[in-house]
Order: sequence, then C-alpha cells, then structure tokens
Amino acid sequence: MSSRVADARERLLLLLALPALVLLLGLFAFPVLRLLAMSVEGGSLEYFEKAALDGLYVSVLADSLRIASVVTGICLVLAYPVALWLSRAGRLGLALGLFALLLPFWTSVLVRTYAWMVLLGRNGVMNRMLRDWGLIDAPVMLLYNTSGVLIGMVHVLLPYMVFPIYAALLRVDPDLGRAAEGLGAPAWRAFTRITLPLSLPGVSAGCALVFVLSLGFFITPALLGGGRVIMISMLIEQQVREFLDWPFAAALSAVLLAVTLGIYALVGRFGGKSHLATP
Amino acid sequence: MTNHPRRRSMLLGSAGLALAAPALGQPARAKPDRIVVNASGGAMANIFRRTYFAEFEKLHGIRVVDTSPVDFGKLRAMVESGNPEWTVTEIGGQDATRVKQMNLVEPLDASIIDRSGYPAAAIDSHVYVSSAYSTALGFRTDVFPNGSQPKGWAQFWDVKRFPGPRSLRNHPVDNLEFALLADGVPKDRLYPLDMDRAFRKLDEIRPHIVVWWTTGAQPAQLLVDKEVVLATGWNGRFFELTKSGATVATEFAEGSLKSSVFGIPRGTRQAYWGQQFIQVMTNPRLQAVYATELSYAGFNPATMDFVPEEVRPLLPAAPGNLEKQFWLDVAWWTENGAKAQERWNRWMLRR
Repeated sequence: MSSRVADARERLLLLLALPALVLLLGLFAFPVLRLLAMSVEGGSLEYFEKAALDGLYVSVLADSLRIASVVTGICLVLAYPVALWLSRAGRLGLALGLFALLLPFWTSVLVRTYAWMVLLGRNGVMNRMLRDWGLIDAPVMLLYNTSGVLIGMVHVLLPYMVFPIYAALLRVDPDLGRAAEGLGAPAWRAFTRITLPLSLPGVSAGCALVFVLSLGFFITPALLGGGRVIMISMLIEQQVREFLDWPFAAALSAVLLAVTLGIYALVGRFGGKSHLATP
Repeated sequence: MTNHPRRRSMLLGSAGLALAAPALGQPARAKPDRIVVNASGGAMANIFRRTYFAEFEKLHGIRVVDTSPVDFGKLRAMVESGNPEWTVTEIGGQDATRVKQMNLVEPLDASIIDRSGYPAAAIDSHVYVSSAYSTALGFRTDVFPNGSQPKGWAQFWDVKRFPGPRSLRNHPVDNLEFALLADGVPKDRLYPLDMDRAFRKLDEIRPHIVVWWTTGAQPAQLLVDKEVVLATGWNGRFFELTKSGATVATEFAEGSLKSSVFGIPRGTRQAYWGQQFIQVMTNPRLQAVYATELSYAGFNPATMDFVPEEVRPLLPAAPGNLEKQFWLDVAWWTENGAKAQERWNRWMLRR
C-alpha cells in the first residue's frame, strides 16, 4: 500500500520535473553536444593538439585551476564560521545574517566589481585609510594583480559556500552535540567529533560549487586583474568573438568541461555523492 | 487589437506625406515608400534620426527605416540570397577591405556622391568613410598642465621626464604600432609591423603599466579616479569627460585613426536611393551635429565651420589633429591578428 503511494508520488514528481528537464536537454545538453562536435570538426584532433602542445593554453589552464583552488579554500575558511553562526542564531540574527549575505548576492557582478575598484584602488578608500592612520607611506597595490582577483572572486562566490554548509548544519541534530557535552566532551571536541563530520556533505557540495564556478569566471578577473591574470574562459571568449575560430574555442571548452567533470567525480567519490545532489 | 486602427491611420498619414512631397528636380526614378539603413544603433541612431534621416526624408519624401546592429555575416547572407533588405549599411571598420574583396557592395556613384575636398585616405571606390575615431592619449590636466603632457609615444615611454602610472589596452592592436613609433619607426613605414621589435620595446614600458584595460569605459574611469595619470583610450570617451568638466584631456599626437564606413549591399533594389542617402551623409552641417555630440567628425572639409570653436580641437578628424596621427592598417590586422594575439597573451603571462 505505502509503496504504491510512493510510486505514484514519484511519478507525479517526475511529471513536475519534466518541463525543466526538457528545457535543460534542449537549451543546455544539445548545444553542449553541438559544441563538442564542432571541436572535432572534420574528424581531426588538430585543435586539441594545439591546446595541449601550446604551452600558453596549458599554463593558463593550470593558472585557472590554481586560482579556483585558492578561491575555494578562502571561501571555505570564511564561510564555515558564518554558516555555523547562522545555524545557531536567533530569529533576529538569522534575518540580519541572511540579509547581509543576500544583498550582495542579488547585486550585479559588474557593479560589485567596479565597487571594489573604488575601495581598493591606489587612491581608493582602503589606501587612504591606511595612509591616514600612518600605516603606509606609499599606496599598496591591492588591485590589478592576483590579490585583486582573489578578493573580487571570493566576494562573489562566498554565498555559494555558506548556503550548502548552512543547510547541512541545520540537519545536524543539536541534541547530539549536547549529548556529547553531557558525557564530558569539551565543546571543541564535540565540534570536531560530531558537528564537523556531519556537515562534511555540505562542505563538499559548497567546495564543488565554488570551484566549478571559479573556473568559468570571466568578468571579475578581466577587470580586477588589470590584464595580468588570464583565465581559460577569457581565452575561449577571444577565440569566439575576435577570431571566429569556433572549433578551437570548442576544443578549449571541451578540455575545461572534462576537467570540471573530473573534479566533480572526485568530489562525488570522496565527499559522498548522495549528499551532493541535495546540498 | 484596439490600437490597430490608429497604427493604420499613422501609416496612411506618412504615405500621404510622402506622396505630397515635391520631386525637387530629381530624375524620373521609381520612388519606393521607404529605404532601410542599418547601423550601430544606440546614441548614434538618435543623432542619425535627427540629422541624416530627417534630411533625406525632407529632400526625397522617402521614409527611412533604421535597423541594427552591424553584422558582417548577415550582410553576406543577404547579398548571396540576392535580395538585400538593407539599402545602406554601416560596415565594421575591420571589414572595410573584406567587403570589397568579397564583392558585397555596389561601387559608389561619383556623379551623385560629392567627396571633393575629402582627404585621400577617406576616399574609396566602394565604401563611404563617414567619420573617424582614434585611439589617443588621455591625460590628467592637473598633473600635466599647460601643454606639458607627453606628445607622441617616445615621450609616453619616457618615464623619467613624464613620471606616473600608466594604462594601455590589453590587446595588441594599436599597442604594437605605438611601441614601434616609440622606438623611432616613422609613421609611414609602420607596416608590415615588426613584431619582434615591438614586443622588445613593450618590455621597457611594461613595469610602468599598472592596468591593462579591457573595456572602453575603463581608461576614462582610471583617469578620473587618479588611478593612472596617462591612459590610451577611444577618443570619444575622453571627449565626454572633457565636456563634462573633468580634469582630463586628449593628446592626438601619433594617435591611431580608424574609420566608420558605410556601403550599399550589392543587388539591393533601391541602390540609386542608397547613393542619394550617402550624398545626404556628406552634408557638412549634419556632420557637424554628429561631431559636436559624439566627437566623431566626418571628412567634409566644411564640417569644421559648423562645429563650435571650443569643440574643434577635441575632434580626431579636425585639421591639425588629422596630420598628427596615422591610419591603422586594417588589412594587416585581418591577416595577422590571431598570430599577434597569441603572442600578446604569451607576453602577458610571462612574469
């Protein structure tokens, strides 16, 4: 009886998900396949050969991976305490915290990027403050280098780390921690033995999300990197828009897609795949 | 549904106007009720409507419909299909030589279009060079007052005499030319570009470039924020700043000129009226309106007479400014752009 009810419910859910699935297939899966097909146009692998053998593309890809890892790491360190606090905050604290997180989240990335230019520039708010306090004599270069890119990207991506961890922490039964403390474990012990392990699925989901999004970042590094930071997506855009070399752009995209999927698979393996789907 | 009748009566109204307009001594040609002009849109479209479109409609009683954007692929498809919808279209400056090679535009009729007095560089058998813009040097007037700014790229490279952070575009176009000029190559001997020499010269200035800009708004912003004191940029952006009273001005010495061009798609049925439309575009009074608003001046030598005196020195095509600059060789870049870009990327990545 109950299994039949579950069956019917599953069918209904599938039906409800159908429009989104059709949309994804038509507007995402199909173009991606077309793109992949374009990269091996004429049955030749010459575009992949160029991407693999030319040091430029390999080093840019390596750089992109490095930046994405650093951004993910910084986001994790910053996001975990915030998520923990949110999961234990009272109603007012929660409202304030969510507001502070969501307000920038809803603001255009371009606007936020320009805002960082105002804050971090040579004559920006930050440098002027440091100078007024006598901490520095000459302006510090916070922008137009890797540090500028990292600051901008972490700011944009932080919510993508906080929310999965927050969601995972909400599901951790607070009684477990209390029980551990009741049995004599100090608070830090209860945290490292109970709360932290139980929140790991949220952590891995957040990391995967932030890492994958960073890899495709484009506007922020272009503007805050001052030209010194090149991400693989910037090279793809050049090929598409400027040189109309779409097969080569497709090959670069295919490489990026393969790397992304590889990382996703790794996280799925070590981070618990079943939890990944429901952050 | 309800506004259908109104729309119809408006259409009838304008058709009536068109019929009522006098023929003004035009040769007997079948008059269409409208022609289609395709261009970039935006601020430009508004000014076109007020100037060239209005004038053409008044002169010939033919309505001008405007479309956008400029699209090389679409032009090619239209011409190949044999029935182009556009009577006249803007063509991206970088495609000006390609349209001729690929035989996509009608030759211009010199008996209709009067370009006497135009500089030789702005006369072409198939495309009409409507205006010029330039990549020039923007500078802060409080740092370089009374004409003490660098004039030419050798001086831009001279960081001892002209100290301060600088910005260049994150792109090989223009920069390779600027580097060669800084290294002493004369303006008329730039092409074919010596890439090795250009990149060697760029090595020298590299430590002094704090930002390699990407979007056209960036150099203007960088100058206003005092992030840099010298920046290359599209002259229209600096023009806006100067007009709005910012302490930013433009130095045109050895600037890189590019042109906006228009052509008549081959096989369009209203080709004759396309020639007439382009003749309207030579009107110096109308060119002056365009120049005064956007700084993109046309080449009719009389245009300057209609431009307010204080605006003239800000225009790239103004006499005095034009001779100081060089024309970017579009053909060279069409041929070598991808190679130069790869080398540029590699150069950028080198630490």
